Amino acid sequence: MFTEIINKKFPAKDIKAPESLIIKNIFIPGKTPNEDLAADILIEKGIIRSAEGIVDTCGIEFDYPLYPGINSEKKHVLGISSNGKAAILNAGGLTCSASFTDMHVHLREPGDEEEECINSGINAALKGGITAMCCMPNTKPVIDNDCLVSFIKMKAAKSDFNIYPAAAITKGLNGLEITDFGVLKNAGAAAFSDDGKCVQDSKLMYEIMRYAKYHEALLILHEEDYSFSAEGAMHEGYYSTKLGIGGISPLSEEIIIARDIMLAEKTGAKVHITHISSKKSVEMIKSAREAGINITCDVTPHHIFFNDSALKNYNTNLKVNPPVRGPEDQEALIAGLKSGVIDAIASDHAPHLDSEKNTTFIKAANGSTGLETLFKASYTKLCIEENLNFLHFLKLISTNPSRIIGHKAGQISSGSNADIAILDTKKQEIFDVRNTYSKSSNSAFDGIKLYGKIICTIKNGKIVFLDF
Amino acid sequence: MLSVKNIIDTENLTVADVNLIMENTATFSEVLSRDFKKVPALRGKTVLNMFFESSTRTKNSFEIAAKRLGADTVNFSASGSSLNKGESIIDTVKTLQSMIVDLAIIRHSDSGAINYISSKINIPVINAGDGKHQHPTQALLDLFTIGESFAEFKNLKVAIVGDILNSRVARSNICLFKKMGMDVTLVSAPMLMPVNMDCFNVKIASCIDDVIEETDVLYMLRMQFERQEKKYYPSIREYNSFFSLDKKRFMKMKEKSIIMHPGPVNRGIEISEEVMENEDEFIERIKINRQVTNGLAVRMALIYLLLASDQLEKEYVH
Repeated sequence: MFTEIINKKFPAKDIKAPESLIIKNIFIPGKTPNEDLAADILIEKGIIRSAEGIVDTCGIEFDYPLYPGINSEKKHVLGISSNGKAAILNAGGLTCSASFTDMHVHLREPGDEEEECINSGINAALKGGITAMCCMPNTKPVIDNDCLVSFIKMKAAKSDFNIYPAAAITKGLNGLEITDFGVLKNAGAAAFSDDGKCVQDSKLMYEIMRYAKYHEALLILHEEDYSFSAEGAMHEGYYSTKLGIGGISPLSEEIIIARDIMLAEKTGAKVHITHISSKKSVEMIKSAREAGINITCDVTPHHIFFNDSALKNYNTNLKVNPPVRGPEDQEALIAGLKSGVIDAIASDHAPHLDSEKNTTFIKAANGSTGLETLFKASYTKLCIEENLNFLHFLKLISTNPSRIIGHKAGQISSGSNADIAILDTKKQEIFDVRNTYSKSSNSAFDGIKLYGKIICTIKNGKIVFLDF
Repeated sequence: MLSVKNIIDTENLTVADVNLIMENTATFSEVLSRDFKKVPALRGKTVLNMFFESSTRTKNSFEIAAKRLGADTVNFSASGSSLNKGESIIDTVKTLQSMIVDLAIIRHSDSGAINYISSKINIPVINAGDGKHQHPTQALLDLFTIGESFAEFKNLKVAIVGDILNSRVARSNICLFKKMGMDVTLVSAPMLMPVNMDCFNVKIASCIDDVIEETDVLYMLRMQFERQEKKYYPSIREYNSFFSLDKKRFMKMKEKSIIMHPGPVNRGIEISEEVMENEDEFIERIKINRQVTNGLAVRMALIYLLLASDQLEKEYVH
């Protein structure tokens, strides 16, 4: 992208992306005391060489100013030296973080490329400050064989992006036969999940966990008892009653979580429960962890941002599974993030065609896009509204999900991979889905004012997204 | 003039709206008792009847109501339409709207479908029933029927009995009856009752015998086997012993109390054969057929109010 920017601005100069990048005047949370005493970051060959103090840029000049400054005092926000060896980004006191990891994404390729493909998903991720993601296997065909795992890895490698494919737990997500865990793992499957579906047969789940333990494989579990959810389309509560929409009791999720905690305890399998939605789920996971059971969990931004009252006008973009629940559940999820019971925030990015959402609530498909709002929406809710410590928050969208899926997370310190997001934490904007990089526009956050703007995303020391 | 442009639910109607509708219904009710039952107030107007879900009484009622007002009617039914060719609901509605109609009357099996459709088209819409959500014209005709028997609505004791969970009639009636100051009790079993009913400011009873002696209006809901995806209620025998109106219970009721049912009645389930057989004898008490007649008058009033006010507004603008 960097080379493209330069070549577009200066078509005559055939400038290659410089090997070094110097980010001047940047606030590193936890390291620099405040924005006025910001530091510099020196990146060489994709590695952070220095992230303390001030980098001496003598000899490098802004010969080719590419963008005007953010404000009048700070000219030449991005520039490049005449010898082409270094680029300089004057961040003007903006904040940086290790770029984010989204451990729950639907990329729809292969099979539903009209909704999303790997490349469009990567672009949307970069726009959201995300440089690593775990994609779910409910594609067409299902990612239940090593060829498809390799296909995804190959596509991601072409775009220099970290995709960690989750392979199916059961063949074709049929909930009946276990896939070739060993072969899939060797091909690069980072986890196993039947996401969107849930194995109903408890004995089979027991065998799955034993087998996962044997292969030291991570299970990412979508918890749903179909007998509770089959007749419903939203949280069972005051609003489902009022709107005449069948309700899904939180028991749908809780019963299966209770079962899987027991199975995890028995088998010792590494279990991650994804997109938990209810208060009781948080409580059960908390006590399971206190008992030493190997279990982690995540929540989506929409489950902490909204509750079922937001569906009172039958907003199909917020029709998701599990459904957004009542205010008490919403509060418990936020508290769970604060206390550390919930390890991570994951978007459950689920693109859908307009025709699947522009219909009656009952007929509408489940899911919201979320890559571009993962940071903004959860930052707005947690840090702005709930005063969560910013460093703690960054763990939830970067360090923790990376650790769970086995991704070497970036850090802003010398020797680390230069995977960095530069953020304007004070900027407040209405999220307008018409500007999305995703192929789909079914965002639950469309039209909502959110804090936090991703100014720049850096992957392996290269600027891969820039939006001043 | 009504405060709303569409009749989608009873919640958004103000008490003034309801009173205006009741007054107009009384006028049209009088028209219906004449030899010549037509008022050509809406000559030249076209009313579109769109039934995505099967119906006989509501559909016919609306059609007759529109015709009595002199309007032309166009009927659409989902079977045999382009919906079978994969046309989306909204494209179907827009296609029919393009044929220049003035009002759409819509029934759909999905809750919220009428909210959705009305947000996409620019003619007034009357909800003729959407899934388990609302059936506002039923609630209004029920209210009018109650008004014929009692001097005032305030503090009337109403018991709504049976399958509340799957009933759009219950949802629209509870809201309208509470709005008019009535004292509403729901009589039902856990698997036939939605959650959080306590938020609707109603009383709850578990057996018809708990309320039968003091009830002014006994409203029996249809046991909707077609709307229950799974049957959790054990049996008709069990239902009869807790919720059915039989002769013995009927005799315990207040002298001036009335029995209502949105129809069609499942004889032997909600109301016993014996009571139904004596319908003519107790014509002042059993209002089931009167409800149907009043349905016509209420629908005439609504079509008239929506289209006439539309016209007034247009004249004002020009």
